[in-house]
Amino acid sequence: MKLHYYPGCTLKEKTTNLDDSTRAAMEVLGYELVEPENWTCCGAEFPLTEEKIVGLAAPTRILRQVELEGGDKVVTTCAFCFNVLKRTNEALLKDPLKHKRINAYLRDDIKIDPLTKKKTTDFAEYHETVWVLHLMEFIKYQIGYDKVKSHIKRDLANLKVAPYYGCRLLRPAGEVGIDIPDDPHIFEEFLENIGCEVVDFPFKQECCGSYISVSLPDAASEASYQILRSARYCGADMLALSCPLCYYNLDRRQDRIKERFFDFTGMPILFFTQLLALALGVDEKVLGLDQHYYDPRPVLSKMHKTEVVS
Amino acid sequence: MNGNGKKKKIGVFVCHCGVNIASVVDVERVAKALENYPGVEFSTNYVYMCSEPGQKMILEKIKEQKLDSVIVAACSPTLHEKTFQNVVELAGINPYQLEIANIREQDSWVHSDKEKATAKAVKIVKSMVEKVLQNESLEPIRVGVTRRALVIGGGISGLQAALDIADHGYEVLLVEKGPSIGGHMIQLSETFPTLDCSQCIMTPKMVEVSRHPKIRLLTYHEVESVSGFVGNFKVKIRKKPRYVNPDLCTLCGDCEKVCPQIVSDEFNMGLSFRKAIYMPFPQAVPGTYTLDIDNCLGLLPIRCGKCKDVCEPKAINYDEQEEIFEEEVGAIVVSTGYDLYTMDHLGEYGGERYEDVLNGLEFERILSASGPTGGVVRRPSDGKVPKNVVFIQCCGSRDTENHNPYCSKICCMYTAKHAMLYKHRVPDGHATVFYIDVRTGGKAFDEFYQRAVEEDHVLYIRGKVSKVFQEGDRIIVWGVDTLTGKKVEMEADMVVLAMSMVKTEGGEELLKKLKIATDANGWLAEAHPKLRPVESLNAGFFLAGCAHGPKDIPETVAQASAAAAKVGDLFAQKELLHEPTIVPVNEELCSGCGICVTVCPYGARELDPIKKVVKVNEILCEGCGACAAACPSGAAQQKNQTDNQIFSMVKAILKG
Repeated sequence: MKLHYYPGCTLKEKTTNLDDSTRAAMEVLGYELVEPENWTCCGAEFPLTEEKIVGLAAPTRILRQVELEGGDKVVTTCAFCFNVLKRTNEALLKDPLKHKRINAYLRDDIKIDPLTKKKTTDFAEYHETVWVLHLMEFIKYQIGYDKVKSHIKRDLANLKVAPYYGCRLLRPAGEVGIDIPDDPHIFEEFLENIGCEVVDFPFKQECCGSYISVSLPDAASEASYQILRSARYCGADMLALSCPLCYYNLDRRQDRIKERFFDFTGMPILFFTQLLALALGVDEKVLGLDQHYYDPRPVLSKMHKTEVVS
Repeated sequence: MNGNGKKKKIGVFVCHCGVNIASVVDVERVAKALENYPGVEFSTNYVYMCSEPGQKMILEKIKEQKLDSVIVAACSPTLHEKTFQNVVELAGINPYQLEIANIREQDSWVHSDKEKATAKAVKIVKSMVEKVLQNESLEPIRVGVTRRALVIGGGISGLQAALDIADHGYEVLLVEKGPSIGGHMIQLSETFPTLDCSQCIMTPKMVEVSRHPKIRLLTYHEVESVSGFVGNFKVKIRKKPRYVNPDLCTLCGDCEKVCPQIVSDEFNMGLSFRKAIYMPFPQAVPGTYTLDIDNCLGLLPIRCGKCKDVCEPKAINYDEQEEIFEEEVGAIVVSTGYDLYTMDHLGEYGGERYEDVLNGLEFERILSASGPTGGVVRRPSDGKVPKNVVFIQCCGSRDTENHNPYCSKICCMYTAKHAMLYKHRVPDGHATVFYIDVRTGGKAFDEFYQRAVEEDHVLYIRGKVSKVFQEGDRIIVWGVDTLTGKKVEMEADMVVLAMSMVKTEGGEELLKKLKIATDANGWLAEAHPKLRPVESLNAGFFLAGCAHGPKDIPETVAQASAAAAKVGDLFAQKELLHEPTIVPVNEELCSGCGICVTVCPYGARELDPIKKVVKVNEILCEGCGACAAACPSGAAQQKNQTDNQIFSMVKAILKG
């Protein structure tokens, strides 16, 4: 079955492991992921000011492209892309005037063919028909855990995984929230259903430091340290997440954390799709496990090697 | 012309209302414009028509000019219609020959253009002249009063209201849905600001209620439906089977010992357990066991039947049935109390996840000598005495965006009390309170709060808590101190949340049955926020206690006594007068279609099956006019608001 999938820039660049594992896992579940043609960056930040509607044009173009290709939904795995696309959709739905103005921009779009240099100008409007879903939602509500379970080939019961939501999947509650921001459960459900042992820890919704990692790296590394410390304290072997920026702060920054906090022991950080792909029996080589700063493979070797016959 | 074909002599009195009207409407011009209008005999203006000299002037002019109808152009009729009706009545004119032309709320207050506003005022007064020309003289409808009150809810407000009404000498039915009276107050440990034991001051009242010859106590009963009107209500009450005869039960407790069903104890807020056959608390009134059928294994002796086997006085009767009976009452006091906002609304504080995060009532039970820990402060998870207790105020209150917009009023005081009592029990412990503001408006309240700070060394931090979480067995509280602008992180052994007060769960259903008005937050609405604070908008209903909004005990008691006094006022009247501006039926025009019967919100109309016309219960009719608007044949005409009158008024307005 074909399914529109918006990977976003980071997945093609720094975190190809998230992209690769998503594709591999979804293939096992019977989905062919189709990227909208000529997709661009989503903007990575939702423009919060009323007037700055130009910022909404890029995500709207992506949604329009999906619509033009006949898609009624688009799935993302990057928490930032999900947040921006979904909020853009909501904003246009809530404010018809904004929708009209964005469409006016879209009508003026010019496409230049790279070979013939010919300009195309007859661009369509976006009609609000695309449903933005995070892959975790898609699995829960569209595929169903039962179907996922029936495809499971590896037993992950020995892995103690702490689910880390971060902020973008949950807030703002009314517009995005794949679950209740103050007491979410969808990630835990997902991990339980693919066979992991779930470790609940109180920092699952706390900020990883986000972009402050650029200007004040120490502030970000302290925030990330608190998250990893708490997960370890609560007995987790590894942390699962869905956001490339969280991944950067929590995994790549571990060297800096180690310098500052002597009790820090490090912990492997995995994308939820890598765990899904592992459970579904995908070849480990495809999943980019060698790209991680903290090599997850020793911990993963705790996994039973024997394949589950289902 | 009036109904008798006699020409009417109308007097028009235009009021300045100081500058309220006169600054926007040229009142002199209005009075002048009416002088020669057909039917008007006399027209004048005056600065304050409602003042003593103003009223006197109307009286004199009526006699002098031999007027038989009066129009006062002034404020809304809801304010002074009664005043001026009394004036014309003094002069010997029927009060229904008086009309108010509202040129303040509907004109001067909403306009600024003097020319246009004056023209509008003239039109309003002219339309009233047209109405008065066709007004009939009416007499109020008289009806008797049933001198017997119903009080719904057996908390402190219900008890106080019932006792006061009974002491006035009237009979009272006190209906309580639970097995005992006492409400939330009997659950409290000590009360602010005097720290006297709640049970010690409550139980004498409970006993007094149960012994009062004028009070019929109906515990484990619920109000099923209410019909009728002020002075003459008919109430259906449902008796829930208790399966234990209170007269025979000797409180030996043998049944409780053998009962195999263990359930969470509501009286102790789920901090302890009780059996399916139980007495809610030792001082319960009536003093009897109750079989909670929802948690019983089943009444068939084959299922269990142990309690019946051991009951020596043979008080247990499995054959008891639910009963519905009807009672007549003249007034209803609604004192259905409040509930606490549930802790799952504040996921960030983890009240539902962590055992040692408690709400205020749970902590009351822990402090109470009759509570699950016998008054020793122990935390529920491991029974340890907590050395650090954090109290968080305004949990769900004063948060327009996410929770309840109002202040729950009592939390500042009970949190100070909690912290103080905790310090008395655990002198080496630390009590910290996070607050937005400390509101201590009340007699001796601020002194009490100062005592908590100065004598008992309770630490008050001004700021909100963002998150409470547990890591291992430590509870960590993250907050902010807005006075220093610093983030605060502290460890706690126990956290107490001052949850917001909300309308009772299930109370909504009851209020629907009573057809009684509520405000935006679900609290009962009073008839006037300042001048009629204990009466409902619906005649015959009175409000007492927290069902009307958050209140502390002294205020609740005062309101309950006030409601009882109002009931006394009602019962002291020989007969009640009902507005005669009702909608009768012209039987010759009525086709018996029954449309008016379906639109009547008061159930005042019914179809006569023999005559095939609609009959009107004059007492039930409130004169809303819904039927008059719906009637296709013009058979339903409201008195002094007939179609003819309305058409004449519209014409007068359109004529210019």
